[in-house]
Amino acid sequence: MVNRVVLNNQIHRDVRIAAIRPTRENAEVNTVSVIPREFPRLLPHYPIFYTKNTETGRFEPSVLLGFQPQENLFFVDGRWDAAYVPLQIQRQPFSLVTRRAEDSEGKPPTLDVALDLSQTVQSQEGQRLFLEDGQPTKFLQGITSMLSALVAGAKETYAFTGRLAELGLIEPVQIDIEFVNGSETKLQGLYWIAAAALKTLPATQLAELRDREFLEWMYFQMASISQVSELVARKNRLLSGETATRP
Amino acid sequence: MTSLTEARPVRKILIVGGGTAGWITAGVLAARYPRRGDDGISVTLIESRQQPPIGVGEGTWPTLRATLKQIGVTETDFLRACDASFKQGSQFVKWADGGESDAYYHPFTLPVGYEERNLAAYWLENQRDQSFADSMCFQTAVCRQGLAPKQITTPEFTGLANYAYHLDAGKFGPFLRDHCIEKLGVAHVYDEIVRVESTETGDISHVVTKSGETLAADLCIDCSGFSSLLIGKHFGVPFLSKKDVLFIDKAWAVQIPYSTDEAAIKSVTVATAQSSGWVWDIGLTSRRGVGYVFSSGYVSDDGALEELKNYLSTRGDPLRDLSFRKIDINSGYRQEFWTRNCVAVGLSAGFIEPLEASAIVMIELSAKSIANLLPSCRGGMPQAARIFNDTFRYRWERIVDFLKLHYVLSRRNDSRFWIENRARESIPDSLRDCLEYWRDHCPWHEDFAHREEVFSAASYQYILYGMGFKTYPAPWLLNDRDRILAREKMNEAGQYTKALAASLPGNRDLLSKVRRYGLQKI
Repeated sequence: MVNRVVLNNQIHRDVRIAAIRPTRENAEVNTVSVIPREFPRLLPHYPIFYTKNTETGRFEPSVLLGFQPQENLFFVDGRWDAAYVPLQIQRQPFSLVTRRAEDSEGKPPTLDVALDLSQTVQSQEGQRLFLEDGQPTKFLQGITSMLSALVAGAKETYAFTGRLAELGLIEPVQIDIEFVNGSETKLQGLYWIAAAALKTLPATQLAELRDREFLEWMYFQMASISQVSELVARKNRLLSGETATRP
Repeated sequence: MTSLTEARPVRKILIVGGGTAGWITAGVLAARYPRRGDDGISVTLIESRQQPPIGVGEGTWPTLRATLKQIGVTETDFLRACDASFKQGSQFVKWADGGESDAYYHPFTLPVGYEERNLAAYWLENQRDQSFADSMCFQTAVCRQGLAPKQITTPEFTGLANYAYHLDAGKFGPFLRDHCIEKLGVAHVYDEIVRVESTETGDISHVVTKSGETLAADLCIDCSGFSSLLIGKHFGVPFLSKKDVLFIDKAWAVQIPYSTDEAAIKSVTVATAQSSGWVWDIGLTSRRGVGYVFSSGYVSDDGALEELKNYLSTRGDPLRDLSFRKIDINSGYRQEFWTRNCVAVGLSAGFIEPLEASAIVMIELSAKSIANLLPSCRGGMPQAARIFNDTFRYRWERIVDFLKLHYVLSRRNDSRFWIENRARESIPDSLRDCLEYWRDHCPWHEDFAHREEVFSAASYQYILYGMGFKTYPAPWLLNDRDRILAREKMNEAGQYTKALAASLPGNRDLLSKVRRYGLQKI
């Protein structure tokens, strides 16, 4: 059960949080949404697709972590097995909550940093959130800037994917995979850049994508296709390992 | 007719009237034939500013999804602009015997196995405790729980269950108008026609407007509504009344505001039988549209209004500040729809009570047929007209039969209206023959003559068995293979119902999300 509380420099002054590791609950997913500014750091590790947000139906980039609904091949023995962890995972158990919604004049909403106590391990050796005088620690400042990056990133994301969808540059992909043990899987609900449509895109629209940095993001995303076979290899290693240990 | 006339190309299309009929027809034709100017066709629509919209006919058929897609609008724009909601069928309340629990669904999703076989007989054989629609179609449970036919992640114009829309007809015309003018190159004239000029052969050559403009036409499409400017007033094509079969001739209509912005929106049209007709109840995103269509031969205007108010109060709707509008209904259609170089679409062609939302689907079918039949030269027009007239006479006849079926099967005896609806002389021969045949055959494709029926055998099955009609097929015409298939399919439907119930959002929830986020194209 999520137990989210808004951070308060009085109440939480003495709280110390153990080194953050993704909990099983947060890590057992086969996709996680990412923001375009992460693409360069994601590229060496993960295949980046587009998926539809289940609440809004809007496209968002997300990395593929496994081939079954709750399979995360990067989460091994309670640890994240990759040099870069997506921000959406890194930020746990912190989140931003809305104190006041965006008003009709477009004034941005007021956000507070919240902590999910159900996923927090407190320890005397852990990181402090606040200094004696109530100011946030470097650690908490780092968390806050990560959360802000995600909020800003979400805005950029929807401007990006919204425009791509409008231009017909996103298309569904179906990926059929056969693993080393002969089992097969079909990946559905994933979307990809419509390469054919991109090739015939009028010059003015291409220039617009370039000027808005979208083209750069698209290239990163397309280049990440090679990580699909890396992910298959990861799964195959796991499968052959399992077979080997069987008597 | 001289050969010179026969060789004359048909390139100028003039649509008279700018309601739902006019703009759907303009949209379908202009989207199908996108070439304009010297080497294309022109589509011009003239409407007068004075014509108030009729404002009935807010229910549609799933065909509208394909039509909107062809015209080239997005589903998101359409839903937002027309306050539209998702409709998954109709619910008929108190039609069979008028008892407290008397209600059944006519869902849009076909009965199980329908693509391959006719399995209705196997439901009849083993009725258990579930109604035909509940056994043979997962959609009734979706409707009953007030769920939407799709999710926010489902692409536009597709659904997990088959669906159509409820829409605000007063907003639908203007929505299509803007698209037709801006995107499809339809020319639009706000003016009134004061004179119709003919050629020596009797065709319409042009119309003259109040402001003195002359609009020439190779083909005129009369979408002028009940005033029937061209097909009725100019050509004098007789109107065939169907009042002796379908007794409805008047309606009281009213708009009901929602009590809150979160009030549930039903995903079906609810048709509740009254003493002398029935009440429609349609939920848009902005309001409900409710009305009582009745027969003046059986109840007075005041009496009908009382019944409607009673319907509303029973539902808990406050009666204060409501304005009730009276509408005359003249059930019937033209003897022919296409005469010389003029074809009628919409109310000018005919109108039947809105029991199965046939008005807009007939407009779509007409527009599509005109687009398909459009001759390149004047010489091809008589044949196009013959085909069109045969097809649409047949379609109107089937609609009359299908609507009459709802009344004929009723066992209500509480008023003269219901009893006399079953009088032999009021039932068309074609329907009587079918009913006789269906005593030992479940309705199937061969029972109907055309490839594209307005109401398929599936619809007949839903109404017949929903109303409690019994078919007794000969045992030697049934077999175990189909019996097993039917059982499997019914079980599958039951499981699918559970899966959908867990994953579909409420109708209102999804509509609010569409308003906020839109639907994706893919």
